[in-house]
Amino acid sequence: MKNILHKIGTAVILSSAFFFAGCEPEFEEKEITVSAGPLDLSKYVAIGNSLTAGFQDGGLYLEGQVNSYPNILAYQFSYAGGGQFVQPLFSNEQFNGSGYLRLTGFTTSGSPIIAPVTTSLAVRTDAAALPGGPRLAKFANPATIQNWGVPGISVLSSSQAAYGGINPYYERLLTDAEVGQVPYVQKVLSTKPTFFSLWLGNNDVLTYATNGAVVDPNNPFSGLTDPTTFRAIYTQLVTGLVQGGTEGVIANIPDVTAVPYFTTVTQDMVRRSAGNNQLVIYIRTGEGQADVRPIEAGDYILLTTQAAIGRADNFNGTTIPHGFHPLNPLTDKEVLDKAEVEEVRGRTIALNQIIKEVATANKIPVFDTFDFFNKRKSGFMQNGIGYSAAFITGNLFSLDGIHLTPRGYAIVANEFINTINSHYKSTIPTIDVTQFRTVLIP
Amino acid sequence: MRSKLLALLGSAALTVGIANAGGYQVNLQGQKQIGMGHVGTGLALDQSSIFFNPGALARLRQNGVQVGISALTSKIAYREPSPGISEARTDNPMGTPFQVYASYGAAESPWRFGIGVYTPYGSTVTWGNAWQGRFGLNELTLKTIFIQPTVSYQITDKIGIGAGLVISTGSVNLQRSIPLIDASGREGHIELDGKAKTALGFNVGILVQPIEKLSIGLTYRSEIDATVEGGDVTFITPGAAPVAAQFTANQFDATLPLPDNITLGIGIMPTDKLTIGIDVQRVGWGAYKSLRFDFNGRVGQAPPVETTVSDAPRNYKDAYIYRIGAQYKVSDMLTVRAGGYYDQTPVRTGYLTPETPDADSRSVSAGLTLAVSEKVDLDLSFSYINKKERTDLADKSGGVPGTFKSVAYIPGVGVNYKF
Repeated sequence: MKNILHKIGTAVILSSAFFFAGCEPEFEEKEITVSAGPLDLSKYVAIGNSLTAGFQDGGLYLEGQVNSYPNILAYQFSYAGGGQFVQPLFSNEQFNGSGYLRLTGFTTSGSPIIAPVTTSLAVRTDAAALPGGPRLAKFANPATIQNWGVPGISVLSSSQAAYGGINPYYERLLTDAEVGQVPYVQKVLSTKPTFFSLWLGNNDVLTYATNGAVVDPNNPFSGLTDPTTFRAIYTQLVTGLVQGGTEGVIANIPDVTAVPYFTTVTQDMVRRSAGNNQLVIYIRTGEGQADVRPIEAGDYILLTTQAAIGRADNFNGTTIPHGFHPLNPLTDKEVLDKAEVEEVRGRTIALNQIIKEVATANKIPVFDTFDFFNKRKSGFMQNGIGYSAAFITGNLFSLDGIHLTPRGYAIVANEFINTINSHYKSTIPTIDVTQFRTVLIP
Repeated sequence: MRSKLLALLGSAALTVGIANAGGYQVNLQGQKQIGMGHVGTGLALDQSSIFFNPGALARLRQNGVQVGISALTSKIAYREPSPGISEARTDNPMGTPFQVYASYGAAESPWRFGIGVYTPYGSTVTWGNAWQGRFGLNELTLKTIFIQPTVSYQITDKIGIGAGLVISTGSVNLQRSIPLIDASGREGHIELDGKAKTALGFNVGILVQPIEKLSIGLTYRSEIDATVEGGDVTFITPGAAPVAAQFTANQFDATLPLPDNITLGIGIMPTDKLTIGIDVQRVGWGAYKSLRFDFNGRVGQAPPVETTVSDAPRNYKDAYIYRIGAQYKVSDMLTVRAGGYYDQTPVRTGYLTPETPDADSRSVSAGLTLAVSEKVDLDLSFSYINKKERTDLADKSGGVPGTFKSVAYIPGVGVNYKF
């Protein structure tokens, strides 16, 4: 009897459990409403610089291209009538593209060891280098390109026909006949999108800032772009894009002090890693004999300067560590000093004002990246993950300290979507940013 | 007696599912009661009175043993906050809350002695390591087992009292992802695993039957703290020395309150065949203020931090459960039951967490008893629980914002042997 009961009981439990395993919890709103509102997303074109191209870790390579914010946007647009999106991807054989930086370990004092990746590159050896660097493998079907992100390009250079013969990232998107003949503005306007994103202007201040506010005499695009020139080109670009009622979204220029390239290396950090609380860093702020002073709050040492700090330089037989003595200060190029920060920030604000005015005049919403990154640089939590503008540990910025991680780009893509939804009353879905990586730690 | 009872449990998988109650209280303590909305405080149905009302035990005239088990299938769906559209679903293993009760007393004696073994609190929720909230939770397994030796005394024909000593044990296993990614793209992981120290509590009750057709019961079950000391902490993180230096903890302490219950139950017997029960239960969830872990080392902090305290506010509020149920004796062979309950969530707005994505829940149930022989009864029960869909920012608990929806299906079976 007991045995039979046991069998019946087991059978009842197992069969009911099996039956009910099929019944799922359902949400009241079964299907999520997704709508493009008034937007025609059938042909989306992205216009911009390295951030738009998916540049990360100091290079442009396949992983970054695939995780570019325009590609994420296009993917999300596909829920709301978006068409296909062609990016000028590097091939699977040349997936490391221009080469990039990776984190290989840490020194005993805890500083990151960052090394270049030099295999499977798309760097050409069959043609002479351009002024902007070695040429890169050309994209086979330039007529189909929808992500026109060109690392290094500025509003100023976008109007120059010669630029295709200078910047290898632009050159690889052009046919041989177009190189040096077609300015970027003309090229992107000819794509005739139904929807565009435009995030251009960063390099009109950033090239100057990342060079310690020193103009490179060999690079005509290495200064701060004049606002009048900026307005003229930017207006031409935006009015050209909105021809025929095309809608889009615009992003402005972030504050340089919101990126780890400028904020990571500090006197405190140098003191800690040297184990010497008395160290003083001296910086050169100008050409004159007297333009040397101890570093102060508000001066920013560039990330790329880190390796040179403390270098044993020889002065007439005497060794003076670089940066630790008034006779061997950090050079003007190695530091963005206070006055230069104000100069760069002032120009950034002026150019952002122009961006806002041109966008407003053309009824295009602006994603205020200046405000977005400044509000978040000291840190925020999302999905139980901490983010900040800190180098490596902040999860937002890649190993070059300027460009974003795939996670950072995904967060930016979502903010673009929020800007679009808010202006156009659309309901384009955002993406789960946790599916994108941050810095890989060995 | 005790060792014999424990042996009866055999190798039953002792996991208990989350989705069947407010917080992590499990309302599955007797197969007859499950079939009628889990009422029972004002009734003297069977040996499970050891749990429901020790004061009712003395009223039972027969000695016996009862063994029951439920198969709890719970499912929780998650949708991220708008305008996101990512969804996740739990893949919870089937929970098997069980109960064993035995009682004995001489035929004419006002005394009854009994022992119960049951699983009043527990939770098993498995979200996996791919969902958006994985840094809040991958999976949680919380188990408790209460052993309750009980004595009951019938003071007069109309009044019975009883008291039980509760001896609780349990265990907890909690796993989360850590937001660090190694060179091969693998995410970090933390696992906390510990056994709860044996703790003591009590369960007292009184059953009064002023007239033949009405009985009133009142019980109090004390709060017990499930305390883990020296539980194991295991990390998977990138191997680089500066990272490893931030994860030095290998032991943790934590305490989880298992809240007290006050229950008032009314039994109405309009005819010989019909019994109606109504229970109102107050659960002292207010005791659950925060989920605190004390680690003996670092959990993601850089030196010079030496030890870590993780303290996430929970701030539960006391909650009420309202139950109603009835049974009807169709024949000497067959008794049928039906009922339901409404269980208020103890989780306040802003405090939702993926380990208990709780909401007000509604349950309906049905059951029957087959008298197989003079000495053997077979109980069958089925309970369906549907929690209200709940959207929460989870900004106060450090939980996972979004919308959660839970359902559970719980068939159960019990065997009673009377002697």
